[in-house]
Amino acid sequence: MNVVLWIIFLPIILFVIGTFMLGYSRKFIARIERRYGPPIQQVFYDIFKLMNKKTNISHGWMHDIAILMLLGGTLLTMYFVPVPGFHFFAQYGDMLVIMYILLIPALGMALGVGETANPNGSIGISRALMMLAGYDIPFVLTFIGFAMINHTTSMYDLMLAQQAGGIAGWGLISQPLLGIAALIALQGMLGEKPFEVMVAPHEIATGPMTEMGGKYLGIMMIQHAIGIVVELTIYINLFLGGAVNWFEYIVKLFVLFTMLLSVNAVFGRFRTDDAVRFMWKIPLPLAIIGILFIIF
Amino acid sequence: MDEKLTQRSVWEKIAAKLSKRSLWMLHYCTGCGAIELPPTMTARFDMERFGINPMVTPRQADILLITGYLSVKTLKRVVLTYEQMQAPKYVVGFGSCTINGGMYWNSYATMKSLDRYIPVETYIAGCMPRPEAIIHSFNELIAKIDRGEANSWKDYYKNYDFYRKNQEHTFEGPIETYNDIKADAALFRI
Amino acid sequence: MSIVLNLLSIALAGVVLNVLFSKSKIVQKYVSLLIFAGLTYFSFVMYSQVGEHFDFPFQIAGQSIGFTITWLNYYFGIMITGITLLTVIFSLKYMEGKDGSTHYYTVLSLKTFGMLGVIFSSDLITFFVFWEIMSWSTFGLMSTGGKDAPKSAFKYFVFAITASMILMAGVVLSYSLFGSFDFAVIHDKIGSLSLPMTGFLLSIFIVSFSVESAVFPVHSWLPDGYSNTFTTFTAYLSGISTRIGIYGIILFLFGIFGIQTVDKLSIIGKINFRYVFGVFAALTMVVPTFTALYQHDAKKLIAWHSVGQGGYMLIGLASGSALGIAGGMFHVLNHMAYVVLIVFAIAAVEHRTGTTNLNKLGGLIKKMPVSYLALLFGIIGLAGLPPMNGFVSKWFIYRALILGGYPFLAIAAVIGTLGTILSVYKLIHNMFLGQLPERYNNVKEVGFSMQLPMWILMIVVLGLGIFPGAAMGLIAKIQVALGLTAVPYSLHGIQTASGQLNMLVVSAVFIGGIFVTWIIYLLGSRRKHVSQYNNYAAGNFLDKKVAYNFNYEFYAAMEHVIDPYRKKIIQRTEQGIAGLTDAVSEYIRRIYTGMINTYGIYVITAFIVTIIILKELI
Repeated sequence: MNVVLWIIFLPIILFVIGTFMLGYSRKFIARIERRYGPPIQQVFYDIFKLMNKKTNISHGWMHDIAILMLLGGTLLTMYFVPVPGFHFFAQYGDMLVIMYILLIPALGMALGVGETANPNGSIGISRALMMLAGYDIPFVLTFIGFAMINHTTSMYDLMLAQQAGGIAGWGLISQPLLGIAALIALQGMLGEKPFEVMVAPHEIATGPMTEMGGKYLGIMMIQHAIGIVVELTIYINLFLGGAVNWFEYIVKLFVLFTMLLSVNAVFGRFRTDDAVRFMWKIPLPLAIIGILFIIF
Repeated sequence: MDEKLTQRSVWEKIAAKLSKRSLWMLHYCTGCGAIELPPTMTARFDMERFGINPMVTPRQADILLITGYLSVKTLKRVVLTYEQMQAPKYVVGFGSCTINGGMYWNSYATMKSLDRYIPVETYIAGCMPRPEAIIHSFNELIAKIDRGEANSWKDYYKNYDFYRKNQEHTFEGPIETYNDIKADAALFRI
Repeated sequence: MSIVLNLLSIALAGVVLNVLFSKSKIVQKYVSLLIFAGLTYFSFVMYSQVGEHFDFPFQIAGQSIGFTITWLNYYFGIMITGITLLTVIFSLKYMEGKDGSTHYYTVLSLKTFGMLGVIFSSDLITFFVFWEIMSWSTFGLMSTGGKDAPKSAFKYFVFAITASMILMAGVVLSYSLFGSFDFAVIHDKIGSLSLPMTGFLLSIFIVSFSVESAVFPVHSWLPDGYSNTFTTFTAYLSGISTRIGIYGIILFLFGIFGIQTVDKLSIIGKINFRYVFGVFAALTMVVPTFTALYQHDAKKLIAWHSVGQGGYMLIGLASGSALGIAGGMFHVLNHMAYVVLIVFAIAAVEHRTGTTNLNKLGGLIKKMPVSYLALLFGIIGLAGLPPMNGFVSKWFIYRALILGGYPFLAIAAVIGTLGTILSVYKLIHNMFLGQLPERYNNVKEVGFSMQLPMWILMIVVLGLGIFPGAAMGLIAKIQVALGLTAVPYSLHGIQTASGQLNMLVVSAVFIGGIFVTWIIYLLGSRRKHVSQYNNYAAGNFLDKKVAYNFNYEFYAAMEHVIDPYRKKIIQRTEQGIAGLTDAVSEYIRRIYTGMINTYGIYVITAFIVTIIILKELI
């Protein structure tokens, strides 16, 4: 019964947290730019407005299915990532499953955008996939390091192993090289500056979102809100000792997100090849050195 | 119009209250007015306070802000962009050029009145209108949406023949935008 | 009479009938269909005869030779016959009106005959003879279809002959060491051999099979050879033919030498024979996968992936754990299902448009939805994303590598997967998505006989993804038969003490997520389909005269990043090897001076040397 309630309410809770985090990010950036900024619930208004649009254009059936794959894949990931009080699905799929179901939304979006036949969209997808090859390699490598220390690939067990050691047991403290490498990779995973070349509004007209409007864009924003929480949760579970209760969880989410946002607010944008090179020249060697420490 | 007001359901009223807080703007800047937009967006006037954000493609935008004069060539693009936007959509004519041709009244190459080609929701008079005026007109637009009066986009479907005739007259022939306006009108029950 | 003999005689009858009826294409088509349907039936019913042995009535060097049925044979047998049947069904329409279609079914039957012989043989002599038949018929397959085919087939020929000679050396060496050709006898006597000799003998066999399974340094024959022939042959070759090399490796590594013997072959600490083998497998995953990014031809792109995916199977076997070996073996089946599906979709497109050039196609999803769906299922499998089958076997392999303590091999696997995702998206995007060029406006979906194999394979790809237990039962039996630990499988995944994988739950949650999204989607107002020319182009008017698709140099930025590594490491190494081979060949060539005097001296010298050696011996 408890599980059923969690299954029903978890997406709603994470959606609310995610939208507030996105609203917070807009406010935060606005304040850094010395603006007043939108109200913190602005993202709710945006999503409502988009869902309420009268016209919704679609370029074909894959465009429709892509939207379903996009949010469906994110909801799938969300259930498999343990949050405080709910880790029912964590026993059926480990971290490797999570790493690969994280790619389903990306693939879904890529296919839908391809169907829209917009060159800006295709360029955006090509950039997004190249960035994926950039940040995913160091990120998965850090996870492999952790799994080797603890002899398990289950995210829940990794989380428990960290909590057993107190703050000193946190991944970021016990394996700082891996933690820093994953933090940089996370910046790329969330698509924050300086790694937001796939969206690049002034250059390729928001790339993948070019032909998305109305409810399509609305569902993409819902997905973004949930996705951002899920991706941050993965980092928290792996490197910040997870969370025991929801208060700790939300504090960790906001602290981590603020750190990433502060970088986002002051940077320009890397070119794609520079971004990939950066990912392969800084976080990847860091992660490899970290793993060498673990082996020897 | 008054009849419409009384006929609004509760849901429509709530929807209007929420939707008015999020308006994304596509700025079509061929004239000189573009220079007034950066101060409107940035720290001094900050239009994001009202939920108004610049957007880049017509699919995502609610407001089409047209700054300055339009030549025959650029007007074609405006019509295409307008038809690609998703309803409900609001056109804001910026500066006197869009109202009556302004200082280009005597020009052979520019259009004198924008609302002969696409329906315009509000105009901002002036040459140039200052950022205060832009913010003011956006607030007017928000108030109109709240009252349920911002329905000019329906005109395009209702009086498509009129707009189409003017467009064809100016462009000296039809333009192909791959949008079936008549079918859309049936879809919206207009 | 053994059922193996039934199987082989049916395949041989296929060859003979095809030669007899080479005048009538219709008869040939239906005879082949009947033959392969029969083969498939017989190979499936072999289930009850596992463990049976058949000896030929004659003996060679006092040794009886023959065939045997084991679970490993059975596994490969059903794959071979099943995929050949699907290829034939697909070819019925595909080969209509093409040059060389008489030759087509004959070599297909001969190749199947060779492969079945190889996998059911129970001794080195039979194995070698059928191996040769198989290699020659592969040459036959590759040399048809397209003007570049003979040249690239010749390249294969050089590699295959070298590999056969090495294999021959291995056969002779084993006979001199053990006095027997029989696999079982060799397996019993292998323990008495000294370790360096064991390592040498194993290396001989593994190197020889590496050529057939296209392991990294000796893979260069495959991409050209597979992509220049008929597209259906590309499917057949990359689906199953290459994997006979993997069969050889499994048989010799685990069946004949045994994992305990192999594990004794240590070099320094953890660096043992398996690890070295794993490093080559890792290179096989990474290098060809990134080479695939550069390809502009769909067939060539898939041919490079077919090299790269072989690396996953090998690295799974190299990991040495029950999970990894199961993953490697399971990946053979999974790879066969999805790669054949992908190539069938490419062949369908080629059938309708006449090209596989990725820069010329586009937007075909509107015209060929079934082929698109087939390609989509295939690429999700190839990229290894849930809920398709490729994910399950890759999951086994990753987990085996991580928990076995091979982080760098695991990261090679991850790099390979990401490279795969990049290039398969390019494949599906450039063929089916994007702008539909005006010249393809009248293209239609392919007919039923071409759709049927695609539907069957789609069901296999998805079915094995959700219920991997369907195949894992057989693999567990193979593992037990080879003296390994069986992997603790269940119908929908795997269950170990340190965690489980349940694909049914993953798929169910995914479907639930899609359902919820669908409800949200329905909340909005109705969608409206628009023309591809009703598109944002910054106010520009689009129509059929404007080519605006983005598909040329899809990953230009990535190529900028990889190019330095590629040029420095790969190309220089390749040039070095080529230069070395050239120099050695040049010295060998000088033996043939063309003057009668020199040859006379050679003959006399050889005569004297022989007499001295004979005198010593006697």
